Amino acid sequence: MRRKALVILKKGGRRRKTGEDWQPVPIKLDPFQEKAIAALLAGQSVLVAAPTGTGKTLIAEKLLEKILAEGKGAVYTSPLKALSNQKYRDFCRLFGRARVGLITGDLSINEAAPLLVMTTEIFRNWCFANPEMLVNISHVIFDEMHFLDDLERGTTWEESIIFAPAHIKILGLSATVPNIREIAVWMEGIRGEKVSVIKEKKRAVPLQINWLSPSGDILDEAEARAEVEARREARRGRRVWSGRGGSRYSEEQRPFPKA
Amino acid sequence: MAEYNSNCVEVIETIQDHLPALYFAFGRGRTEMLAEELGRTFDFLTGRERQAVRKIIKETEDACPGLFTLRRRNLRRLLLQGIGYHHAGLPPVLKDLVERLYEERLIYVLFCTETFALGVNFPAASTVFDSCRKWDGREFRGLLNREFFQMAGRAGRRGYDQVGHVYIRIDEKYPEQTGFYNELDVEPVRGRLMIAPNTVLSLLYWKNDEEIKRFLEQNLAVYQNNKEIWQLRREVKTLTEKEKRLAARFCPEKESPSCQLYRLALRRELNHLKRRKHRHRPGARERREELRKLLQAQRKECDFKVCAEAEKKLQSIAERKNQLLARIDRLQKNSRDFVEEFQNVWRLLEELGYVQGRELLPRGKFALELHVQEILVTELVFSGILLEATPEEAAAILAGVDYQPGRDEWVERPPFSLEHVVHLRKFLLRSGVPEHFCVWSHLPAALAAAWYRGVSFEGLMQRCNLEEGDIFSILRREIDLLRQIERAAGNDAVLAGFVREIRKTLDREEVAMVGV
Repeated sequence: MRRKALVILKKGGRRRKTGEDWQPVPIKLDPFQEKAIAALLAGQSVLVAAPTGTGKTLIAEKLLEKILAEGKGAVYTSPLKALSNQKYRDFCRLFGRARVGLITGDLSINEAAPLLVMTTEIFRNWCFANPEMLVNISHVIFDEMHFLDDLERGTTWEESIIFAPAHIKILGLSATVPNIREIAVWMEGIRGEKVSVIKEKKRAVPLQINWLSPSGDILDEAEARAEVEARREARRGRRVWSGRGGSRYSEEQRPFPKA
Repeated sequence: MAEYNSNCVEVIETIQDHLPALYFAFGRGRTEMLAEELGRTFDFLTGRERQAVRKIIKETEDACPGLFTLRRRNLRRLLLQGIGYHHAGLPPVLKDLVERLYEERLIYVLFCTETFALGVNFPAASTVFDSCRKWDGREFRGLLNREFFQMAGRAGRRGYDQVGHVYIRIDEKYPEQTGFYNELDVEPVRGRLMIAPNTVLSLLYWKNDEEIKRFLEQNLAVYQNNKEIWQLRREVKTLTEKEKRLAARFCPEKESPSCQLYRLALRRELNHLKRRKHRHRPGARERREELRKLLQAQRKECDFKVCAEAEKKLQSIAERKNQLLARIDRLQKNSRDFVEEFQNVWRLLEELGYVQGRELLPRGKFALELHVQEILVTELVFSGILLEATPEEAAAILAGVDYQPGRDEWVERPPFSLEHVVHLRKFLLRSGVPEHFCVWSHLPAALAAAWYRGVSFEGLMQRCNLEEGDIFSILRREIDLLRQIERAAGNDAVLAGFVREIRKTLDREEVAMVGV
């Protein structure tokens, strides 16, 4: 167990931020990104499941670059309007304003552009009502595809997958989910096409999870469980010594005095 | 929020070597309160950084004067100390500003809600969890593993940090709410298909019978359900085979008085009946006689332990099989029958005059273009309520569509009555329309009406206790709905013009999307 640092920062105190010189440079492609891109270029639909921050977006960007260079079109859908707006700005920067459009329920910009950012709802509606608008679209990218599991909105993703025109290939980007292969097999069945699965379990930077006790100690899992248990016991009105400062209940502090 | 014990100052002191940090809290008020608390003791910025922040704030303020309303003045002060907060209640411009400062690494500690984890693709040195419970629109519940790792995963800057630090606070008062998470336990994705009126109309109008059948019978939920049942059945089958194999081991004399296994059981029963407690029960004596007679038979000399073991195994197999069968039964009973759900909504639409068989009637064609509260909105139009209203009233009525008010929300009363909408809703409910197909609230009415009249955004703020972000999203959602109605109006120039005019009036100033 590590004790907390003793230096206390006050106004005008020392600075504590680290990594001012750090730049979020996309270092060269990871094997899983290479694999995903290769499968996409081979004309397959692909599901990518990888933890946050491992560079799923990069796969999408590489694919879009290629599609645009070939003079074809693509749709990029995201689960939130705010995210769509943000992606639209990103893509404008990457590919130029003229080639990017944005369509959400309450807004549409440059609807005829080859690369369209939209909410999944709009894509779903187009699959039903305006499939002719999707003739030149070769790929649809579903960002955060695990939204399939969303109680209220998941249905939109599912309807989109089922009814996306057959010539459109799907790139699904998802957080780590254990049954991504099951979803791929289901998609293969309902869409009648091959769906590759690319899984990346490893994080670019591993996480170290710790707990903070009310008295400011950094605990590991076992210590944290002991701490939680000790505090629960204490609250039940028993006299327990947690082995750490601040959890000893005296008789008068006892939340429920003994009868 | 007062019931929470907060000590974020101490938390930040503890993790001060791992900044910048994203501090996730669940509740808008909570993020603000924590930021305020930290701001009383901490100031992170150097002179140069403060200059940079000031410059960026000024740029934004020049573009949108009045950015920091009275309510948000504290945010301005905090940003100049390298502290920020970010939640859905903020106006979009302020959210953008905070995001930009964070990406420029001018915020050391950012207190935020869950949406930030989805939005900004920019890592921090550490993430902190103020609590592990969130309000999901229905109840307070613990975070799922998936949700937790989506947020926690923002920690760790690639190529710089060895590890991303994640800290979970143990609350002094509610220690039992502390979360423990494992990436190996991330929840599987399940199918969540829903059959809304628009689903049925779209299927009937655009798809053929075969496609509808495929949709209803091969969707993800059905697939997963069938797959699980199939796997369970297969397990039951192997168990049954095992049972057969085991049963074949017994000799033909099993259960006859010569079988040692059987004799053991008989002897046990006899001893039982000899006990004082049982010996005088009616029939006990006769049974004893009978048992003794049975036991007189010649004992078969064999290694009966084999049989005993097999018997034990059989019992455990039978138990497991029963469990599996019960689970299959549950799955079959609870599995949703999408065909039936589809037909129920279809029947409802027929009763309400939206469709006739597979043919869409005018109401149905209209609702085909709508994607929120299709039935309610269609009825508002076809009953004449919308067109008979003044544009201001219409704006007020439509703002309430699909709005579910929060617990303590308050908005002043609109200057006109909305009784007729309430009556329409009651009529629909009586006609068998389920509650969730006609969600409407009078709450946002006055806001939309005032905004239509040209009242300033500040003026709207004074008419309610909602936050800027809420008002913004009420009006943006109404603009979305107005576009749908305009599309649905088709050749009806009067209706189309009517809603277009309302939309153009609403889509202005703070509510317009500036530069996206």
